[in-house]
Amino acid sequence: MTFPTGSLQFVAAFTLLITSTGTSKAQNTTVDFNRDVRPILSNNCFQCHGPDEKTRKGKLRLDTREGALELAVVPGKPDASSLVARLTAKDAEEVMPPAKTGKKLTPREVEILTRWVKEGANYSQHWAYVKPVRPAVPDIRDPKYVVRNPIDAFVAARLIKDKLTPQPEADKYTLARRVALDLTGLPPTREEVEVFVKDASPEAYEKFVDQLLAKPAFGEHFARLWLDLARYADSAGYADDPARTIWKYRDYVINSYNSNKPFDRFTVEQIAGDLLPNPTTEQLIATAFHRNTMTNSEGGTNDEEFRNVAVVDRVNTTYMVWMGTSMACAQCHTHKYDPITQKEYFGSFAFLNNTADADRPDESPTLPFWTDEQLERKAELDSLVIDLEDLLKSKKPTEWKAERDRLAALKKDQAALKPSTSVPIMKELTGPQRRKTRLQFRGNFLDLGDEITEGVPAAFPPLPKDAPKTRLEFARWLVSAENPLTARVVANRFWEQLFGTGIVRTSEEFGTQGELPSHPELLDFLAVDLQTDWNVKRLLKLMVMSAAYRQSAKVTPEMFERDPENRLLARGPRVRLSAEMVRDQALSAAGLLSPKLLGPSVKPPQPNLGVSAAFGGSIDWQTSAGEDKFRRGIYTQWRRSNPYPSMSTFDAPNRDTCIVRRARTNTPLQALVTMNDPVYVEAAQGLARRMMEKGGATPAEKVTYGLQACLVRPPTAAEVERLVKLHADAKAKFARDAAKATQFATVPLGPLPKGVDATDAAAWTVVANVLLNLDEMLMKR
Amino acid sequence: MNPRLHNLQAVTRRHFLESSSLGLGGLAMAQLGGQAADNPRADDDPLKPRKPHFPATAKRVIYLHMSGAPPHLDLLDYKPELVRHDGENCPDEYLKGKRFAFTSGVPKLLGTKQPFKQRGRSGIWMSDAIKPLHEVADDVTVIRSMKTDEFNHAPAELLLYTGFARQGRPSLGAWTCYGLGSESENLPGFVVLISNGVQPSGGQGCWGSGFLPSVYQGVQCRSKGEPVLYLSDPPGMDRDMRRLGLDAMKDLNEIQEKELGHPETRTRISQYELAFRMQLSATEVMDISREPAKILDSYGAKPGAGSFANNCLLARRLVESGVRYVQLFDWGWDFHGTNPNEDIREGLTKKGTTTAQSVAALIKDLKNRDMLKDTLVIWGGEFGRTPFREGRTAGGQVLGRDHYPDCFSLMLAGGGIKAGHTHGESDDLGFKVGSDLVHIHDLQATIQHCLGFDHTRLTHRFQGRDYRLTDVHGKVVKGILA
Repeated sequence: MTFPTGSLQFVAAFTLLITSTGTSKAQNTTVDFNRDVRPILSNNCFQCHGPDEKTRKGKLRLDTREGALELAVVPGKPDASSLVARLTAKDAEEVMPPAKTGKKLTPREVEILTRWVKEGANYSQHWAYVKPVRPAVPDIRDPKYVVRNPIDAFVAARLIKDKLTPQPEADKYTLARRVALDLTGLPPTREEVEVFVKDASPEAYEKFVDQLLAKPAFGEHFARLWLDLARYADSAGYADDPARTIWKYRDYVINSYNSNKPFDRFTVEQIAGDLLPNPTTEQLIATAFHRNTMTNSEGGTNDEEFRNVAVVDRVNTTYMVWMGTSMACAQCHTHKYDPITQKEYFGSFAFLNNTADADRPDESPTLPFWTDEQLERKAELDSLVIDLEDLLKSKKPTEWKAERDRLAALKKDQAALKPSTSVPIMKELTGPQRRKTRLQFRGNFLDLGDEITEGVPAAFPPLPKDAPKTRLEFARWLVSAENPLTARVVANRFWEQLFGTGIVRTSEEFGTQGELPSHPELLDFLAVDLQTDWNVKRLLKLMVMSAAYRQSAKVTPEMFERDPENRLLARGPRVRLSAEMVRDQALSAAGLLSPKLLGPSVKPPQPNLGVSAAFGGSIDWQTSAGEDKFRRGIYTQWRRSNPYPSMSTFDAPNRDTCIVRRARTNTPLQALVTMNDPVYVEAAQGLARRMMEKGGATPAEKVTYGLQACLVRPPTAAEVERLVKLHADAKAKFARDAAKATQFATVPLGPLPKGVDATDAAAWTVVANVLLNLDEMLMKR
Repeated sequence: MNPRLHNLQAVTRRHFLESSSLGLGGLAMAQLGGQAADNPRADDDPLKPRKPHFPATAKRVIYLHMSGAPPHLDLLDYKPELVRHDGENCPDEYLKGKRFAFTSGVPKLLGTKQPFKQRGRSGIWMSDAIKPLHEVADDVTVIRSMKTDEFNHAPAELLLYTGFARQGRPSLGAWTCYGLGSESENLPGFVVLISNGVQPSGGQGCWGSGFLPSVYQGVQCRSKGEPVLYLSDPPGMDRDMRRLGLDAMKDLNEIQEKELGHPETRTRISQYELAFRMQLSATEVMDISREPAKILDSYGAKPGAGSFANNCLLARRLVESGVRYVQLFDWGWDFHGTNPNEDIREGLTKKGTTTAQSVAALIKDLKNRDMLKDTLVIWGGEFGRTPFREGRTAGGQVLGRDHYPDCFSLMLAGGGIKAGHTHGESDDLGFKVGSDLVHIHDLQATIQHCLGFDHTRLTHRFQGRDYRLTDVHGKVVKGILA
């Protein structure tokens, strides 16, 4: 299919034409069904005249051309079409949509529908359900538009159309910080930046990017996004919210990103790794993806009910994560907007309805892990037991008492041997254990209808002919070349990470209720490109190498007014850092961040709330010791009922369910965190000590060092001067109260190094606290 | 600062505003023209006060939640028939096809042991376990025909506060601030207070913002220790020193703003100033030692305690300072009969009397300040308790009841609710609603109605669907509106 270009701006331009010069000019452009008509019908009509037969009014359906032509539309003849008559009816009883729905079409919308009927009332399939094809890359000749790779050609084509010019490339310091934060979640080190800035070769930036992609921090950063989707948490949820051991899955995700595992393999391992031939340990751990659903251990609950809830969550999450499709509606009734019936919902449900887990408190089945010593001991015990049993086999029960006692003791030891850790996994039921799936009326697991077998919705491409209807085939179908959605959805999500907003802004919704892409051809280009080898690092590199990404983020009021969200990319991206990045960056600037990778979750300092769950234990925890106190945010223990408070204030979700897009708020409570949370006070103290020790002799040099450590750029004279003054003012004040100075310089980090003046250190801590709170620190620049 | 740029801050919030059903997007855009440049409540402030769909009878809400679910049959719903059949086997018709949290087999009917009488001029039935409430009988409405769908604490609480029995949806308080904003510039719009630090089973989901922006989530304040997380300056830093730092921060941020031209920077500057003010005002408002002894005594409040009494008094102080919605949770109402504190005789009288004193004091206090008329006060649990003895403890000395969702009672006052009124009734033995059923979704619709909202139109689009507190249900209970 060919995409309409300039969808967003077109609508606005169209409005202008109608309001300023009447309708004559607007008629020069043909109405496009997907771009112009479907959103109006979907938002205003489909609820009663859509795919859902049960709630359809007056037997009229407007989501198909046949339906519309049967009752309401005469192509080419708006005057003879009851659709138009009802939309424009003066009589309150007649007019559509009915007043009680609270919906009302604007004159522009009526005009569009009228013209659409006049032009033949043509329908076309929803754009996202049509397989993407590689579009021709626009040929950009104007030297004002730098084209470094195909991304830029698509972006420039759109800018040219809108008569906009891009910003020049950002300076090297800005670029270094931006791309390091985007690819690793951490600012670059001083040394890395200096090498990059001094490297005058044309490949300097590419070398810098390659280094970042090769860092283990890359996997830690991108795993965070995936863990939101996977609803990963270290607790089981619901009322008691008991601890859950599942961190091996988190490590699997980090390792997969770091080894640049192709996304199709990453997919199949997580959905059905257990069904692969001779699955490896890694592939089994991967299946914990769908064991991140909540488990309910409250009294009197029906395990089958909550097992069912978990399967529903698995269906919804799978479609949301891979296909940007909200299936949740179809659990209870046929989807009102998208062509998905309730029966089809349970077809997908059936793929996921036959695993052995069943809302049990012990989370079985799990995969145990043993250390080498444990394995040795286990083997030793096993062989001793077998030998003894052999020996005793021929003896009477009354004989050989000592040996019998010894056997009992050995068996006890065997049972006492617990694995070092474990991870819940998926395990397919076989034979008579297998469950039958039946349709659940209104989503009620007790109110059952016909038996339903595995299948995918008819609106999507079918499973390969003759393929077995298994979870493994379902997983492969998600990443098959025929699937129109997955590659688009995945590419769009990575784009959103780097540019702040997706090409499709509703990254969680690609159905008819989602928004249209700002650059449809670009999205298809990226999707088709990704599908060739599902190489994630290559895709990310392509994006960060583009001129669009490398632009300065500067903006004029006029330009901001025109494109506040930077959808057209006439400037570089500038958005707030995620909760984890805010924390990691502060610890990094302070020189406190631990580089330790992987392993069990840790408990950094959090305020003692003196609070306990209604039936569960205390919510407070004992802070981890040593460097575990300063690990990256991704390793922080994630308790669903009480997410780590400072990260939650920065919009980290509780991960009860799949979250595609985090909010990015800007609130006073966030200011309280970065000003007062002991974690950040400690970081300020660490940074202050670094400035004093390494910054140089004069206050101006120390300030320069601090600014550079935080902002990754040489500061301006005005900035240095202002902070030198702050230091002097604060020092003069602390000089009058030595006790306060000592407190502020040492609690909680600990005593100052020998010979360091507490008054001076306290004043530098005030400066460091300001540095860590600067707008520039909290934002990509 | 360029005033045009300042006004453009509004546009950065467009994403949120567009999703709102109130048409705020259009409103904010329309105001772009002539707003004073230094107005601290910028148009894009998501908590700026807003008008509801129609004139409201309640401007604010105080919700007193008795976590665990009070035994309504021993407090508000008098069932003489049940007393008559006390100790008899529970008729099979009430057990068939039912599941209970801790009861199986055939339990014994349990009539109340509490003396009941009609109270006030209005003659509302109340037991002696809540004596202090007798004095405000003519100010309240009691609903005796409540019904919920859930019989476990967490899902029932989530259903009550979010309209859905599982985590993930915005809570009543979040919806309220989403619709109305907050009148306070120095305090959060939605505050949560929890007696003695025991959270409700539903956890933070009961005051979460779900898929609404997180500015709408409830902020837990404490009557003991630091009133808001991270509110206090770190040890060694005083107010003057903080001011020094903030002034430098502002200067540096303004350099940044000039260089890049992003309005978000201006928002950040004002949020830091708000945080600075909040440090002071939240500390002040949470300090009940400023109250006269007479008031403290009437509530039973003691400065420094983490009690329900303190929280009731704080609720009044908070709404007085412009907080829109205050949510209290008081644990200890799960009267199973597993220990003497959970006995529906003396245990209940003790719990009931202490807490009723504070509730009555709150109602009177609000009335004296002429605030009850537009403050909606709600008292109740997440469900009711069975008309029979709980199964596990049936052999013991202590009398308790199991969880019960099919029929229970709730009390409301002020904010456009009838004074001295009883709504609905249960059947003779208290098993089913006899008349005028009020489902949880109906209660939610009614609360939103009092706040001036058509519950079907206060919506937010998320993942392709318009969500609302009442899901696809809810009818306003006209019978309790004044």
